[in-house]
Amino acid sequence: MAGIGIDAPGTTQLFIGNEAIARGALEAGIGFAAAYPGTPSTEIMESLASVAKKMNFYAEWSVNEKVALESAAGASFAGIRAIAAMKQNGVNVASDFLANIVMSGIGAGLVLVCCDDPSAISSSNEQDTRNIAKWLDIPLLEPGTFQEAKDMTKWAFDLAEELDTICVIRSVTRIAHARGNVKLGELPKKEHKAHFDNICPIAPTLTKFIPYPSAWLHQQLHVKLDKAREVFESSPFNWYVGPEEAELLIITCGSCWLYSLEAVKTLNLESKVGILKLGTIWPLPQKLIEKHLSKSPKILVVEEIDPFLEGNIKEMIADLPPASPHPTFYGKRSGHINAYGELNPNMVIGATARIMDITYESRPAEYSKKAAEIPFTYMPMRIMTFCPGCPHRATFWAIKNALRLDGRDGFVTGDIGCYSMAIGPAGFFQERTMYCMGAGAGVANGLGKLAQFGFNQPVLAVCGDSTFFHATIPALINGVYNHSNFTLVILDNSATAMTGFQPHPGTGITAMGETTRVVDIEDLCHSLGVQVDVCDPFDLENTTATLLKAIAENGGPRVVIMRRECELVRARREKKPLYKVHVDPDKCLGEACGCNRLCTSAFSCPGLIWDKDAGKAKIDEVICASCGICADICPQGAIIKEAV
Amino acid sequence: MDMKVKGSKELLTEVIDTGLCTLCGACAGSCPYLVSYKGRIVLLDNCTLSEGQCYQYCPRTCTDMDAISRQVLGMPYSSDELGVTKEVLMARSTDANIKGRAQYGGTVTTILSLALEEGLVDGAILTRMSDDKTPSAFLARSRKEILQGAGSNYMACPVLEVLNHIPKDSTERMGVVAMPCQVLALSKMRNEPPQDRMNIGNVKLVVGLFCTWALSLNGFHQFLHENLDLPRVIKFDIPPPPANRFDAYTSSGKISFPLDEIRKFIMPACTYCLDMTSEFADISVGSVEGIEGWNTVIVRTDVGADLMKMAKKKGKLEVNILPPENLAHLKEASLLKKKRALKEIITKSGDRKNLLYVGLQESIIDNLLA
Repeated sequence: MAGIGIDAPGTTQLFIGNEAIARGALEAGIGFAAAYPGTPSTEIMESLASVAKKMNFYAEWSVNEKVALESAAGASFAGIRAIAAMKQNGVNVASDFLANIVMSGIGAGLVLVCCDDPSAISSSNEQDTRNIAKWLDIPLLEPGTFQEAKDMTKWAFDLAEELDTICVIRSVTRIAHARGNVKLGELPKKEHKAHFDNICPIAPTLTKFIPYPSAWLHQQLHVKLDKAREVFESSPFNWYVGPEEAELLIITCGSCWLYSLEAVKTLNLESKVGILKLGTIWPLPQKLIEKHLSKSPKILVVEEIDPFLEGNIKEMIADLPPASPHPTFYGKRSGHINAYGELNPNMVIGATARIMDITYESRPAEYSKKAAEIPFTYMPMRIMTFCPGCPHRATFWAIKNALRLDGRDGFVTGDIGCYSMAIGPAGFFQERTMYCMGAGAGVANGLGKLAQFGFNQPVLAVCGDSTFFHATIPALINGVYNHSNFTLVILDNSATAMTGFQPHPGTGITAMGETTRVVDIEDLCHSLGVQVDVCDPFDLENTTATLLKAIAENGGPRVVIMRRECELVRARREKKPLYKVHVDPDKCLGEACGCNRLCTSAFSCPGLIWDKDAGKAKIDEVICASCGICADICPQGAIIKEAV
Repeated sequence: MDMKVKGSKELLTEVIDTGLCTLCGACAGSCPYLVSYKGRIVLLDNCTLSEGQCYQYCPRTCTDMDAISRQVLGMPYSSDELGVTKEVLMARSTDANIKGRAQYGGTVTTILSLALEEGLVDGAILTRMSDDKTPSAFLARSRKEILQGAGSNYMACPVLEVLNHIPKDSTERMGVVAMPCQVLALSKMRNEPPQDRMNIGNVKLVVGLFCTWALSLNGFHQFLHENLDLPRVIKFDIPPPPANRFDAYTSSGKISFPLDEIRKFIMPACTYCLDMTSEFADISVGSVEGIEGWNTVIVRTDVGADLMKMAKKKGKLEVNILPPENLAHLKEASLLKKKRALKEIITKSGDRKNLLYVGLQESIIDNLLA
């Protein structure tokens, strides 16, 4: 598979949506890219960073999405085309800057790519970030194919410069991570020249790069959006397929374009149902839409996730002259399409069939019944779990034991990362709250001030090393300043693991692979004057004792750093295990062990399995990472670890 | 009484959370989920088993006193104030070293040392005072280590946890020095030997101590910490009535507290205990009112009798008859504890027919309530 930097214009390459977007940025001649890892956006920066050096531009993993957008803006102000990429939550983090930069305008083309995660498959929440375009007055494009992903991104930089405002590309998982053919364009060979001009558009000394005076700039922004609308009316990213007059018009966008196409084809309705696919989502190309509305008595709007087009089209109709048609609308508001979660072709087929009064059976009823039953008979229940050898399993085991031993009903406020799974059996259900980056320490701050209301439960906030840099530091400082009583447990596995082991300020490597100064978490915490302990989570006894001591204390926050490298990172680098682990079948008591399979049912590392025939515990040598932790769990000492 | 064996969940709801747990340690270490920690029994994980040895051997779950008594002493539960007795004596060690370390007469230390010397046991599970002056149970395998166990501790200690940690295939014969609740747990184990654990038959000698109540680690250790220079404390003593004091001996002298100040640290569970003299032990040992430096010794079994005889014959112990007054007082005190406990049990259960954990003959109940 080719890299995104391949210099072969006119050829067709197989790219995932994220690579297509990255390629589009390259073809637009960007000089700067900034991002924070976040599924499903991560590969945009990963692919850009992999070619940045060779292609003479700069790409960085920023500490969080706010800084990513701000630094991209900085480059834009100095005349360098810049792109910032993030998942939906990242846009939330960057939203304050976004809300301000729409007022001022930009320098060189500045594009924000937002990748939403419908159904929150790899997220804490699901949200439809297209709403931000209406909220903050931002031109927004949504690709429906992989080719569009590239072409729109490339064009977005021109659009941004033409309008003098930031533009947003909105993608979703099924575009970002699916693969398709992309015909490549030319890669510009230009030298970037950066210089910050003290532009004074209004007065001799007043700078451009401020949101002042906001109300007047807001009005100017509306003018810009009117201009965008004009351009969108004839955009090649909007198209119609279907009959001249259609019984039903499907208005769709993004990932739903292909679902809608498939639905019409499957139901053999090509002569009766038309599809208007929009790529320019905001501002709405009203004249174009109006033209198509007049041709159909029924409209079905298919989109992910919110009824954004649906609601705004209805709003648009209210302003049209009374003679204009008012068709019957179907979509999320009518209950034909879910107003939450991911869509799929079946849902669109079902909705279309319903509206067109067709019975459609995707598969024989008998088969459907069987298919519904089989998973419960044959499929083993697989929980979301930590990898074998993961230090988090050991950490949460120690936390569970420490909190139980302490006996005051202590609990953990959780955060975002691999360790988020500690809300479930993988982490022994220890995390009792879990929201967004930094919320673990944030929520803990409030709880730590409730002693005056009789609160005496120990509060443990957890965060990862990357999360710590991203969002937790201010919360920790708040705890110091406001004297809040909690223990911050920093899970330092030297990686931004959940999103794919990207480097961060604590790892000493940049996105472009250069070594850099390590920002030492321990030193940073010490500088705040808090008590800092460092533990190896694999040393269960010491870790449990340290936690017990930490939660027994009162006063402001204290920090316990759980330091052990992510096992996958370590294994890839060292290529050999720490130990050789096996279960001694003579020592293992099997079902007779009074512990009720503590090893497999409570500790539940995937490398430790139950041999049904022998009735004993066994190491699955393929899966086991040989970390040796389970050797300390078995009450009979039947799990043996030998140094390799 | 419902004799059904239940699980750890019920152990929590019926015993630990209701204030019946004496911290005997019979459940701690019986599986990896249950441990003792700072004076509490902690369930580290959610056990889903409906039946468990933790519940089975707990001295505060359904206990058929007749069955236990038949198994250990060969006869039904005695209605006597002191339980089954072959002899009631007073004794003290002849060894100056032991006497120097002993709380009163040093009889327990002497008996254990003799048992070890004669090869009756390979080790003994005892309690010694740890550096922070709380009791900690340990397995002693030498005379020197047995000597470390000399002296009284007064705070509840989960001694049986040490027994639970002895490996399944161990052949070491054990002696155990235990409180009445712990002796009862041991007796339940002897009555229905635990599976997949050290063979309870290896416990060859049970020395029970007299006990009116034990102090809870929670709170009492804090009290000691606040009122004493703990590192300088050498031993504690609660001298027999009419003293009414708690004494702490430090390197610079004795500090006394009125016993009434200490009473708030008594384990709530002790309120419901009918056994002052460890009625199911081989030998039960306590102090002698009014006679310093001697022990009251109740011999109950052949094992106990043989050992006492040997000790006397080998000149390890000086043995005398217990003065009748002392015997009378002892019986009175023991009967009072039984009566108080039974009343408290019925108050707690709210029903004369529900004696919570203890199964007694009607005649015995009637006598105690009369």
